[in-house]
Amino acid sequence: MSRAMVEVEELRKEFPRRGKSRQDPPVVAVAGVSFEIPQGEIFGLLGPNGAGKTTTIKMISTLLKPTSGSVRVAGKDAIRYPIQALRHLGTVLSGERSIYWKLTGRENLEYFAALYGLPARVARQRINALLDRFALTKRADENVERYSTGMRQRICLAKALLAEPDVLMLDEPTAGLDPQSARNLRDLIREVKSEGRTVLLTTHYMEEADQLCDRVAIFDHGQIIALNSPGALKHDLDDLNVLEADIARWDDAWGAALQERGAVNYDLRFDETARVHRLTVHLNGHLTTGEAVTELVNLGADIRQFSLKSPSLEDVFIRLTGKSLRE
Amino acid sequence: MLKGWPQHLRALGAIFRKDLQVFMSYPVNAVMRILEPLMWMTPVYFMARSFAVDGVNIGLRAYTGTTDYVAFFVLGAAISSYVSAVFWGMGFALKNEMDTGVLESNWLTPAPLLVQMLGRSLFSLFLTTVNMLMIGCCVWLLFGFEFTGRVLPALLTVAPLLVALYGFGLGLAGVVLITNNANNIIDLVSNNITILSGAHFPVTVLPRPLLAISLALPLTYAYDAVRGQLLGTTTLMPIAMAQAILVAFMFVTVTAGLIVFGRIQDRCRQMGTLAHH
Repeated sequence: MSRAMVEVEELRKEFPRRGKSRQDPPVVAVAGVSFEIPQGEIFGLLGPNGAGKTTTIKMISTLLKPTSGSVRVAGKDAIRYPIQALRHLGTVLSGERSIYWKLTGRENLEYFAALYGLPARVARQRINALLDRFALTKRADENVERYSTGMRQRICLAKALLAEPDVLMLDEPTAGLDPQSARNLRDLIREVKSEGRTVLLTTHYMEEADQLCDRVAIFDHGQIIALNSPGALKHDLDDLNVLEADIARWDDAWGAALQERGAVNYDLRFDETARVHRLTVHLNGHLTTGEAVTELVNLGADIRQFSLKSPSLEDVFIRLTGKSLRE
Repeated sequence: MLKGWPQHLRALGAIFRKDLQVFMSYPVNAVMRILEPLMWMTPVYFMARSFAVDGVNIGLRAYTGTTDYVAFFVLGAAISSYVSAVFWGMGFALKNEMDTGVLESNWLTPAPLLVQMLGRSLFSLFLTTVNMLMIGCCVWLLFGFEFTGRVLPALLTVAPLLVALYGFGLGLAGVVLITNNANNIIDLVSNNITILSGAHFPVTVLPRPLLAISLALPLTYAYDAVRGQLLGTTTLMPIAMAQAILVAFMFVTVTAGLIVFGRIQDRCRQMGTLAHH
């Protein structure tokens, strides 16, 4: 087994409630999570907003002090010796404003290279190589404020790789990117893994976690509720059939009726583009797919189309929590 | 990777260069920052002239022993500018980086926070020095003034004050971190302290309660001693004693500043209040 590059043990973070008295119980953002990430693995923290993913990543990156627990990065205690841990870490936080918009892409990289302690000559070589690799050379001497969101994200990634860190941490790396830019960024992340670096990323896009991650920790309410490879997590749902149907109008009573007939659970969201309700129903044999469709038609549902699909990580989350990731 | 002093010096240089690049990206603002102090000085000169009788400022001479109000004022303004430079350079830069969202990116590098804080004041100090040299030349050419004393001993008097200001600035930056408010705090501290310390007038004109406060501020002795050394004004106490006060002040403020900043940044890491963008 490869050496563990990130070791998190019983990590917990509590925040006092704003405007409340000291007697009130604190808000528990992370409730004692543990995991290890071996070298060369892409590890995803997956969960809805507010589940504790970013708080966890901020504690690992030394920006936030845990209430209790321990964090080691490349064997260095990140709580007691943050500077030593930071020498092994490259971090891209969410949001585009983590670089100076009034500087050019190259100037930003030169600045952060100096803060990482890279000698000027080494910095120049690495910056040129990274600009080239991330297809930014032509625009390197333009102010970042003129960059697209995707370009800014690539500069942030280049910044995090300047010191050739053992561990790269990415907080919602593709949030706000168009599909093409997101795909390109995912390719770059795979390249980083192929160099033997460890990648820890947070995301609330289950497809992204599914495609990118070797293992995924699913977060909910500050706890890890499942941890395994996406394939293994989905394999646990082998007994599950997933029916997806587009329905013109929805009545909550229909959902209750389906569950009464034997559906495990269901999830509903409105597709703004197609102007239909997209219903996902989990079935485990008590109710067959055909029976579920017939039941819906009998109830009066105008089904535009329906299909059977393989369980996704979203389905894993729904199965574990009874709710969708978007809730 | 560099470590120790080479790493720190490289980081300081990079922060200075970055601040210069950002400064130059607002050209109108850059020109105004250079010209503004000169614009403030001009009315003061003419006001002082209007109070003079036959070209001699009798009142000022009675209080200080010099009649050269321009030189008296220029020296006060120079020291005040450095006070502001350190305070604004640290506190305001920190607030600005919190607001724009880059503070966390900086704190994610292995450059020690104290080095980062020091770096943030360097450009501010450089700009102040450029300002002061330019104002000194302009005022000398336009209005004329004369230093009768030697500059080097006066600089040695100011040196511990500058270090002391860094201690104070660090503490102030800590307060900015936790209150997320820079302008009001820095204005309040910087302006009131410099006014009460006699940046623009001899403190002996103050009524007794304010004079008591003024005499409790170590900065008062810096203005007083430097003017004594360069203009030969009557000082509040022997210059050597004023210098001793400034050295003691330096040790106290640096120690206190380090403690306050350390505790507050620790609290910020506990509360997760580094970014407010």
